[in-house]
Amino acid sequence: MNDVLPAPNAVDARRIGQAEHSDSLRARNARIAIGDPVVVKVRRSGNGHLQEFRVPYQKGMRVLDALNVIALNDAPDLAFRWFCGSKMCGTCALRMNGREVLACWEAVEPEMTIEPLRNLPVIRDLVVDRTLYEKKVASFEPWLTRTKPYPGFPEPLSHKTIKNASKAIDCISCMSCYSACPVIGLGSLTDFAGPAPLVQLGQTALDPRQDQRQVARALARSGIFNCVSCYKCEEVCPANIPIVSGVIEPLKAKAAQLVPQMARHPLAFRAVVARRGRIDPGELILRTQGLRVLAVIPRLIRLLVRGKIKPLRTLLGLKTPAAGAASRILNKAGRSS
Amino acid sequence: MRVLKTQVVIVGGGAAGCYAALNLHRKGIKSVIVCKGLVGKSGASLFAGNLVLSGRLLGNTEEQARNTAEFLIKYHNQFLIDQEWAKRCGAWIASVYYPELEEAGLYFRRDGDGNMVVSPGKIRSIAANVQGNSGVPFMDLRRKQVIKAGIETIEETVVTALLHNADGSIAGVFGLQILTGEYVVVLAQATILATGYSDRLHSRSTGTREMSADGIAMGWRAGASMVNLEMQWWHTNDVAYPPTWQRMQIYPNPMLGSEKSARMVNSDGEEFFDQQKDDPLAFGPYTVQLKALVKQVHAGKARYTGGYYAGFDHCAPGEVEAYTSYAKVYQQLGMDFPKSLIETAVTAHYRQGGIDVDTATMSSSVPGLYVAGGIGGHCNGLIALVTYDGKVVADGIADKLGNLREPVLPVEQVEQERERLEGLLVGGGSGEASCAPGKLKETVRSVMWEMAGVEKDARSLNEALEEFSRIRRELVPRLRAKTPVRAANYDWLDAIDSLNMIDAAELVVVSSLQREESRGPFMRRDFPDTDNENWLTANLLHKADNGYRFEKRDYDLTLFRPDFVRADNLEVPW
Repeated sequence: MNDVLPAPNAVDARRIGQAEHSDSLRARNARIAIGDPVVVKVRRSGNGHLQEFRVPYQKGMRVLDALNVIALNDAPDLAFRWFCGSKMCGTCALRMNGREVLACWEAVEPEMTIEPLRNLPVIRDLVVDRTLYEKKVASFEPWLTRTKPYPGFPEPLSHKTIKNASKAIDCISCMSCYSACPVIGLGSLTDFAGPAPLVQLGQTALDPRQDQRQVARALARSGIFNCVSCYKCEEVCPANIPIVSGVIEPLKAKAAQLVPQMARHPLAFRAVVARRGRIDPGELILRTQGLRVLAVIPRLIRLLVRGKIKPLRTLLGLKTPAAGAASRILNKAGRSS
Repeated sequence: MRVLKTQVVIVGGGAAGCYAALNLHRKGIKSVIVCKGLVGKSGASLFAGNLVLSGRLLGNTEEQARNTAEFLIKYHNQFLIDQEWAKRCGAWIASVYYPELEEAGLYFRRDGDGNMVVSPGKIRSIAANVQGNSGVPFMDLRRKQVIKAGIETIEETVVTALLHNADGSIAGVFGLQILTGEYVVVLAQATILATGYSDRLHSRSTGTREMSADGIAMGWRAGASMVNLEMQWWHTNDVAYPPTWQRMQIYPNPMLGSEKSARMVNSDGEEFFDQQKDDPLAFGPYTVQLKALVKQVHAGKARYTGGYYAGFDHCAPGEVEAYTSYAKVYQQLGMDFPKSLIETAVTAHYRQGGIDVDTATMSSSVPGLYVAGGIGGHCNGLIALVTYDGKVVADGIADKLGNLREPVLPVEQVEQERERLEGLLVGGGSGEASCAPGKLKETVRSVMWEMAGVEKDARSLNEALEEFSRIRRELVPRLRAKTPVRAANYDWLDAIDSLNMIDAAELVVVSSLQREESRGPFMRRDFPDTDNENWLTANLLHKADNGYRFEKRDYDLTLFRPDFVRADNLEVPW
């Protein structure tokens, strides 16, 4: 299969377009000289205005360095949170020029607009309220519950079996991904827990030692199939966690197995493609909605008029020439996952 | 103002504080953690790079077990340690600590064949997931264990004062909730200070943002005796820039799965330190490394603020990146890894000394006041050692709880403390130019760095004391936050912090004047010898009516003892 599809991690999403836009770290650092002014516009609470500051560039300057200079000299009342200053505590995430970054980790840019993270209430200036996130994580029971007695130190465990969990363990819960997630941005339209809580869940749920009933309980509360796999979370993760490919996709596979009623839509989608070689919207609707379609007949009529569903094709179960290949590929992928 | 009553209040949410809370919980004793940052996400514990194997763990030989003990007593504490305590602690680490962590789910790094990856050598270590980053999953586990146990936490809340009962015993704590600007009082039969090892008293410090020697300052005000406050440890190879990374270390310890470790070169490009060649026994070769640097500085080939370099240019990239996080610094600065070396500088690290404790119970000299972790003066910090403190303090309190008195809300003290804090927010010398709290902090740090840094003498230390008097006279009366906003007013917090820093810094300086020798990382220009005849002793500082008084107390030397009476500290191997 490797010669048909690229390996999932072959492309590092963060690097795309960087060379073309002189956007690599080296290129960005080279654009500013020591002492040059760095223009920093900070979104302040109150009326939400952007307040402009100028700080002289220092060697290797990080966004947090610039904020500290501003607080020391110009605006001691500027509120921003940080503890470790070295990518461990994960409390200084914010948006720089529209992109989620860890203030302590990201290089300054000659002109930068600094704003608080999205999708979390702002307490003041750049400080956001983490309570909602913490509650969600706690509701997932994010601790290991063993089904067999602990055999003593060191227990038999291979890195291969715990690989995805070990990636998730690198999470510093900085909320960058939570801010970047467009599904979370939809608010209460979905029950999606969001990437950060799911990575936290992945730490134990993808651990081979974990009680699967606990995983099922958490997944049932996760709304995980609302994830649209857009990779925005992965793009901003300062810990370089493969959030979609290494955590959310494996968790979705677990959900399909442990809580299949959650996965009705993706499982139906897959079955339709495997059988016909392409998606058939009519069959997808029937399989996922069942008799409930009767309640939405006006919408079905609209879909029919616009050619979105073709009842005849659905009922006759027509296949495309790709059906054989699709079923081969999907069944193979199903066995290996 | 919120007033809570519990059995034990714990100030600090790091390795020691969390473990104390978890152990009290197991015993059915209720506790509340008040944390200046976020439990498990602030303070020093996050920085644990790797985890030392003690005893006969994971195939340690008898010799390796002995080496670990020798390292702890000699290289890590310069013999200023209760050796019987060290023995108990080592045994507990081997028999309880590691199994308990693994049973709770902490992942110690394995290779593809399922073997735990160990750093080879005379002293061995392992890592939680990634070397250089072990503290992060370790403390994340603790955070979740605390949540699971249902232990109440009050986060982003600075404890500003210890409260007293009428008989002088500690009644609990007064705090300010930073995000809301509201006050909170937690009354308890026992109070544990677990505020950490370091205090950001110097211009360059490994202490995190919230650290400002609060534990030392509050403990002292409450009457607790201090010990060995002058024994300040230093990191020799933390990155010289950017400033926010000042505590980011190019770890000198052996790498997991490799025979190599970072090497250091001076401004002429000459190598002057490589742990594997220069000091294989000093697993954490900090002191030895520091002495090597001091010689470079004396030779004009390095400065304490930079001008020397560290890195892995003798290693293959895969060798470093397999199990460590060490490459991240170079990569994030856009440097060529591992070919480029990074400029490094000295950083104030652990304070070996702290509040004097009875190591059997972790009680201080003040009734009702207990201590756990780096704030204690009994041992230099390390995540396993401070965790052990969490166990001992829980045992110590459980044994005494029946005898500790029920706290009574000291209304007058609470009102006084509230007024003091309000004064820093809106009062403070109106009419004249106010003193910015952030600037005051920087001033204290620069006095400590210039006059009580790596090398000091009576003259520089006395100058520091004069500076502190001037600061108290001229700046403190005008100290106040710029705006009266209550929510997330870090400027206000800086004002509160800076007063603690001045008090603690002054105690450190007078303690430094008292110890008339050089020992390990403590270097006096005017007393360059290590003097085991007069100073193989605890330097105790007691509060007295007219200020303070010093006292000496000898250590037992049952396991290891120095093999000389007096020698030039720079030539002493530890």
